[in-house]
Amino acid sequence: MRINLVLELLDSPGQLVKALEPISVYGANLVTVIHKRDYKNENGKVPVQLTLEGEHEDLKKVVDRFEELGFSIIELDGVVRKEKITTIFFGHIVDQDLRDTMDRINELEGVVIVAFDIKLNGEKESTALINVEADIGKKQIVFDKIAEIAEEKKLLVINEV
Amino acid sequence: MDECKVIIMGFGSVGQGVANALSMKKDLIKDKTGVAVKVVAAADSSSSAISQEGLDEELLVKTKNEKGKLSVYPEFGSDLNGADVLDAVEYDCLIEATPTNIVDAQPALSLTLKAFEQGKDVVTSNKGHLALKFKEVVGAAEEAGVEFKYEASVGGSMPIINFTKDTLASCEIKSIKGILNGTTNYILSRMTSEGSEYEVILKESQELGIAETDPTQDVEGIDAACKTVILANSLLGIDATYSDVKVEGISNINSQAIELAKKDDYLIKLIAEVSPDNLQVSPRLVKRGSSYDVSGTLNMATIKTDLADEVSVIGLGAGSLETASAMLTDLISILKNKN
Repeated sequence: MRINLVLELLDSPGQLVKALEPISVYGANLVTVIHKRDYKNENGKVPVQLTLEGEHEDLKKVVDRFEELGFSIIELDGVVRKEKITTIFFGHIVDQDLRDTMDRINELEGVVIVAFDIKLNGEKESTALINVEADIGKKQIVFDKIAEIAEEKKLLVINEV
Repeated sequence: MDECKVIIMGFGSVGQGVANALSMKKDLIKDKTGVAVKVVAAADSSSSAISQEGLDEELLVKTKNEKGKLSVYPEFGSDLNGADVLDAVEYDCLIEATPTNIVDAQPALSLTLKAFEQGKDVVTSNKGHLALKFKEVVGAAEEAGVEFKYEASVGGSMPIINFTKDTLASCEIKSIKGILNGTTNYILSRMTSEGSEYEVILKESQELGIAETDPTQDVEGIDAACKTVILANSLLGIDATYSDVKVEGISNINSQAIELAKKDDYLIKLIAEVSPDNLQVSPRLVKRGSSYDVSGTLNMATIKTDLADEVSVIGLGAGSLETASAMLTDLISILKNKN
């Protein structure tokens, strides 16, 4: 069988060789590798597109090994993999332009707010829980954006540990 | 060494706990180390009891509780206090249990430095001098060639400093995340289980003696931030002081936030994070059923290491005998090293 995947590598020497090693170790064949070092995504990593061929079991071992080695697999067979982020805002969320808050998170590439639950408290501060889905490896970008918005709008943020 | 003369400085909840624990565990300490421990002085903020022949631990606690000061201890009561006590009697180890002072670290700082100058070992439960001047104090102990142990300063009875240093000695410590303040954990746990507001539970906690009359140090995260500094310096080798920690307390947490978190299977906990790129105390979401899901006054910490991955510890973070247990463990380890 054949799989297509996109890995993210750090932009430092030896990363590609390190990523290719498990393929031969587990007896899979490398069909295609597309590595453009001058293209970096927004978290400063270099995406590498691979097509591998081999037995199902061997390919699974290769993918598991990639994850053990700390390479983010951001796409597998055309499906972009996601991670979930949950956070709570507390403060004058509506008065501080709620729409702008949501737009600024949604504008991040590969990041989307999937749920928003708000408790209003009259004229007092309100509390909102936000669920965000982000492409693998984008978590820190989302946290940074949330921290930036919170600081600007004087909101208290409760992030996941 | 077959006898160890100790001075207990500070005779509040922790100092009295040490006296009580010593009276309970003297024989055990003698069995384990071959050393007889003798209390030659105990001091509260204004007076003391001093006897080279040794004091009775239970009588010390009784005198303090019934009369309010140690100067009325039968025969050996004295008006001496503070650093003068260290000059008044011959001793081997200072058990320092004065209240934490996060402004100028006194009187713990000067007492501790004086004991080092006199060539004495020190066991402390104090956080002030460690949070403000860790390097200076630890450096002074090394220079004087004496032992300085401070397990009780973080997490009460929960083993973390000695545990990480000794039991995880093969590992490099990457980060520590945990609940390092029992009072706030108690308040948040009750807000979660009862759906009540912060102010209501705080008031009840004060009535129960779990929160102090002035709860600022606990609820504003100051206490947890001091512990963050101590762990950063002692276990991760980060040269940090109190002002390097980003601190956010729990006084803004309301029942709505807790309810929203609950709906998504999360709890809100005051989490201290110690890592080379983040020293922070703040309310965080933790998954229900995860290792951070401990309630009541319990403390916990998850230590992330290179070889052993994650190791978690849980224990009672405060209390008289609980904190004393950590101080006696430190004392026993000093005595074992001597013999």
